[in-house]
Amino acid sequence: MKLAGEKILPLSQDKVWSALNDPKILQDSIPGCESFETVSENNYRAVVAMKIGPVQAKFNGTVNITDIDPPSGYTLSGQGTGGSAGSAKGSAVVRLEPAEGGTRLTWDADARISGKLAQIGSRLVESSANMMANQFFGRFEQLLAGEKPSDAPVIVSAFLPSWFRIAGLISLLLVILLIIFLMR
Amino acid sequence: MYNFDYVRPSSVSDAAQALSNNTDASLVAGGHTLIPTLKQRLAQPSALIDISQLAELKGIRSDGGNIVIGAATTHAEVAGSADVKAAIPALAELANGIGDRQVRHRGTIGGSVANNDPSADYPAALLGLGASVVTNRGRYDADSFFTGLFSTALHPGEIITAVHFPIPDKAGYAKFEQRASRYCLVSVFVAQKSGGIFSSGETRVAVSGAGQNGVFRVAEMEQALQGNFSPSGVSGIKVSSANLMNDMHGAADYRAALITAMAERAVGAASA
Amino acid sequence: MTAQGIGAAVKRREDFRFIKGDGKYTDDINLPNQTYCYFLRSPVAHAAIRNIDISAAQSAPGVVAVFTGADVDASGAGGVPCGWLVTSRDGNPMKEPKHPILAVGKVRHVGDPVVAVIAETLEQARNASELVQMDLDELPAVVNMKSALQGGSSVHEEAADNLCFDWELGDQAATDAALAGAAHVTKLDLVNNRLIPNAMEPRVAIGQYAPGTEDYTLYTTSQNPHVIRLLMGAFVLSIPEHKLRVYAPDVGGGFGSKIYHYAEEALVTWASKHIRRPVKWTSDRSEAFMSDAHGRDHLSHVEMAFDADNRIIALKCETLANMGAYLSTFAPCIPTWLHGTLLAGQYVTPAIYTNVKAVFTNTVPVDAYRGAGRPEATYILERTISKAAQELGVDQAELRRKNFIQPNQFPYQTPVAVVYDTGDYEPALNKAMELADYAAFEQRRAEAKSRGKLRGIGVASYIEACGIAPSSLVGALGARAGLYEAATVRVNPTGSVSVLTGSHSHGQGHETTFAQVVADKLGIDIGNVDIVHGDTDKIPFGMGTYGSRSIAVGGSALVNALDKVIEKGKKIAAHLLEASADDIEFANGAYTVKGTDKSKAFGDIALTAYVPHQYPIETLEPGLEETAFYDPKNFTYPAGTYICEVEIDPQTGSTQIVSFSAADDFGNVINPMIVEGQVHGGVVQGVGQALMENAVYDDNGQLLTGSYMDYTMPRADDVPSFKVATLAGTPCTHNPLGVKGCGEAGAIGAPPAVINAIVDALKEYGIDHIDMPATPEKIWRAINAQPRMAAE
Repeated sequence: MKLAGEKILPLSQDKVWSALNDPKILQDSIPGCESFETVSENNYRAVVAMKIGPVQAKFNGTVNITDIDPPSGYTLSGQGTGGSAGSAKGSAVVRLEPAEGGTRLTWDADARISGKLAQIGSRLVESSANMMANQFFGRFEQLLAGEKPSDAPVIVSAFLPSWFRIAGLISLLLVILLIIFLMR
Repeated sequence: MYNFDYVRPSSVSDAAQALSNNTDASLVAGGHTLIPTLKQRLAQPSALIDISQLAELKGIRSDGGNIVIGAATTHAEVAGSADVKAAIPALAELANGIGDRQVRHRGTIGGSVANNDPSADYPAALLGLGASVVTNRGRYDADSFFTGLFSTALHPGEIITAVHFPIPDKAGYAKFEQRASRYCLVSVFVAQKSGGIFSSGETRVAVSGAGQNGVFRVAEMEQALQGNFSPSGVSGIKVSSANLMNDMHGAADYRAALITAMAERAVGAASA
Repeated sequence: MTAQGIGAAVKRREDFRFIKGDGKYTDDINLPNQTYCYFLRSPVAHAAIRNIDISAAQSAPGVVAVFTGADVDASGAGGVPCGWLVTSRDGNPMKEPKHPILAVGKVRHVGDPVVAVIAETLEQARNASELVQMDLDELPAVVNMKSALQGGSSVHEEAADNLCFDWELGDQAATDAALAGAAHVTKLDLVNNRLIPNAMEPRVAIGQYAPGTEDYTLYTTSQNPHVIRLLMGAFVLSIPEHKLRVYAPDVGGGFGSKIYHYAEEALVTWASKHIRRPVKWTSDRSEAFMSDAHGRDHLSHVEMAFDADNRIIALKCETLANMGAYLSTFAPCIPTWLHGTLLAGQYVTPAIYTNVKAVFTNTVPVDAYRGAGRPEATYILERTISKAAQELGVDQAELRRKNFIQPNQFPYQTPVAVVYDTGDYEPALNKAMELADYAAFEQRRAEAKSRGKLRGIGVASYIEACGIAPSSLVGALGARAGLYEAATVRVNPTGSVSVLTGSHSHGQGHETTFAQVVADKLGIDIGNVDIVHGDTDKIPFGMGTYGSRSIAVGGSALVNALDKVIEKGKKIAAHLLEASADDIEFANGAYTVKGTDKSKAFGDIALTAYVPHQYPIETLEPGLEETAFYDPKNFTYPAGTYICEVEIDPQTGSTQIVSFSAADDFGNVINPMIVEGQVHGGVVQGVGQALMENAVYDDNGQLLTGSYMDYTMPRADDVPSFKVATLAGTPCTHNPLGVKGCGEAGAIGAPPAVINAIVDALKEYGIDHIDMPATPEKIWRAINAQPRMAAE
């Protein structure tokens, strides 16, 4: 499954950049992120709890970052397993560039979903991906504006690196989390 | 499924108490989404709080200009209600087209509304009729209640008690089924009321099954129907496929075409 | 015909217990001290197994044992065998890679069983399975058949190019020459969509080992318990037949998917000896989607040549057939000997050539599904003829009529190996046209048009080869077993009858039809006849039920055994009536001396056989029980014509079947009501394939239609009330009942009839083909010339 998207943040690149280097803001932007830790350089582990409709799944993910090209982008790859829910594996190319009205973030991801989620949840993959992206950026903008994110609180337990890595993580998580659902 | 506690409260307030006592508890009424999810081990609630038998959540009554339906009322009860059939026949018809006979005798309106599945039938009726969702803590307009994919304005621990449907002059519903699940691939609920009870206009067009963020209204169709309440009023209006769902059963452009087709039919049914 | 005999519409006796919930299915069997098995299956289509860590699962609550492929391998057990060898056109045998019971080295499809967790309860087994750590190194998945053959990833080392076999049948040179000189050639590329069987009852297997006697019992949902005993006993677990009982009690539907020997059956039997306790496995529906053998999945290119007089002069067909990840029991036979041999259809076609390449992919194994090869062949022929009629500007029914094999041409040797013993095709075409009111169709099309609807009519004339048998023939074609049938008629002392048949009933109604045969032949009430099937400890032998073979082969064995009973009874009657056996006649349940009124009832003879006080004991044994094995001379060839009429809503693309007419020649009919029911069921499955059903894999080999949320089953309100006529027809010439079989006809004839009707409805848009399943979106796109954007 291919996923691509972009978002223009209505902020100057400097402001975005500094905010993006504020790990607290970034962590708070990830809905359901329970932990994020550095395993080694460019190698991270994250736990994200998902709840969409009646489905709850906790994903354990690992992320590897390569092709780092500051401040323009990088490639990340990784996988996440959600226990009996299934697993996801994917890679995403993430780019950042100045744009009219702010800063443009683009992602181009290739995701593979396995197990139960693929077998019974295919109908909402795309919608969920978009929802996750919107949640992340919505929270991110709220945090930048000094507001409390409107969604349920999240627990953040570890240091987060740069914006790029987080944006990458988000992209990966989108890929991982997209999925989900609705079995009845 | 994993083990869980089963709680059967005797009132809505008991249910609310039980919810606040059990972290990770789930309400269950008909269970038509929840139970299969549990069987697939895709959820692990600590407790199920069964509100399906609460008398205060059941029943249908006519209240002034409204039809009031208790949250634990089954689809079959709505479909078979003389009050509903007389006041809003399109709503009875909608309820009669949900799932199959077994589903209609277990599934409840409150459960469907709270779940806000983007392909469910009821959200189209609530939004199309400008209904209100009443909870143990307050009341929401349909326009503010449905907030996105499987999400609503409900707060944790909040329990839907009833849905109030304003009685329109005319209303119609048309559904194009996803053939496997018989959920909505696209459905459209249309209603018109001359008395001006609706907050944002006399005519409403609500679409389920198609939007990536769940049920939505089509302003352009509403305006067109305001002047010309006939199928031809909407037949030339195409909804953008940009935010429509895309899956193996229907790509976004096909869904967009179906919205126009179902809108025509809903208007036709309402005019009949 | 009597009220209960051959030809009577007796209500199905077995339905009373099924409707009341009194059936006894395999899952209803629970043995003392039983354990529960849960299979942890591969979540990915193709991967090397780096490591499987079962240690945490082994110590989980309630766990009795955890087994991996290494454990099974170490015990010396064999793999799951394939029952049919197909030889490639270059003379080489097909590639037959090992099919381990639990994955060894690699996993090859989503759902491939990897670990068996056995615990005191099913929930404990599932809980423990979540503690197993599977370390898989994912490999590129082989999903698409065409790219599978172009190199890259290999499903099996033994078949690096993913080609299982490359088979041909017919005269290629003659066919090519006829195509080159033809006045018209119709060409078509066809998809025969992959189907998931979805029997109402999922599969169940319970293994039991008795240490004292070293006996094994396998309780299983099978269409052919003796075949399972043979395959599992001889090829997998090395258990001699006398130490292995296979019992398949009431079985809730099979459609082919319960013919095969599955890994789960072998595992529970194997494990029951290791843990010295019974082991039970019950598939859930999600598991069934990814572990029951799938059906169809062919890609074909067809060329049909006509002379200037619109007579078919040649047919050429190249097919890719998906085998899935492993060879299921009969998989190689389906696209070859059950497919290529039917490409003559009902038509005189002087030259036919077909080439079939069977391909391994990282998908669930594919095997016979109701019709098995014959629906694919019929779809090829019948779609192509209707397309030809459209191109030639002639009526699709009349083009068929013109090319029919004529009654005086039987027995008819086709260019594709088989000989049709008998047939007469025009009466069925005429009857179907009459039922469908074919003549007035254009008025109905015009009326529909006035309502904004597109109406179309489609004809399909099918033939099938049923009663799969002659052992000598199937042996020559690669079968590793004989294909006959056995029956024992046990007349009890009071005159009641127990029939022990090797046929297996899993919805077909044998308990009624077989009893009707007995009632008819012996002149007794069917209430006094019991049909026993499904138990290798009771039945002498049997090859089971599939390929519409039960009445033609099993019923014939029954008749032969009944004849033996009647003959022995004559000798007993002759003794009692003091006459010569040659002068004894048997009719209506009584033995009489020719030309006299001296008579003995059948029951008296039975009693005498078991209480032989006055008995020719020096020349005749007591008792009245006879067994017959019946091995037919040929297949049987049911045929018929189906006509479907559809109405399409061009705004949404949705198709409504407004009329469906079927006229079939099944030869003689035992129970017309059951026959009609079989046609109904088959037609609905055919409609399902044509309009709805489709197993969809993504590029990574994930099954996206893994539940009823996405896999569309046909339902009662998707079809109209059918118009079905069973013709007096042409009785089979080589079996004692003159029967041909009816179980698959509907599923064979319906898909092309439906698609032909849809294409006919859409012809004003210049549409000359639409692939199955013809979903509303597909039709909407064809009408609007809107290609679907590659979203995935």
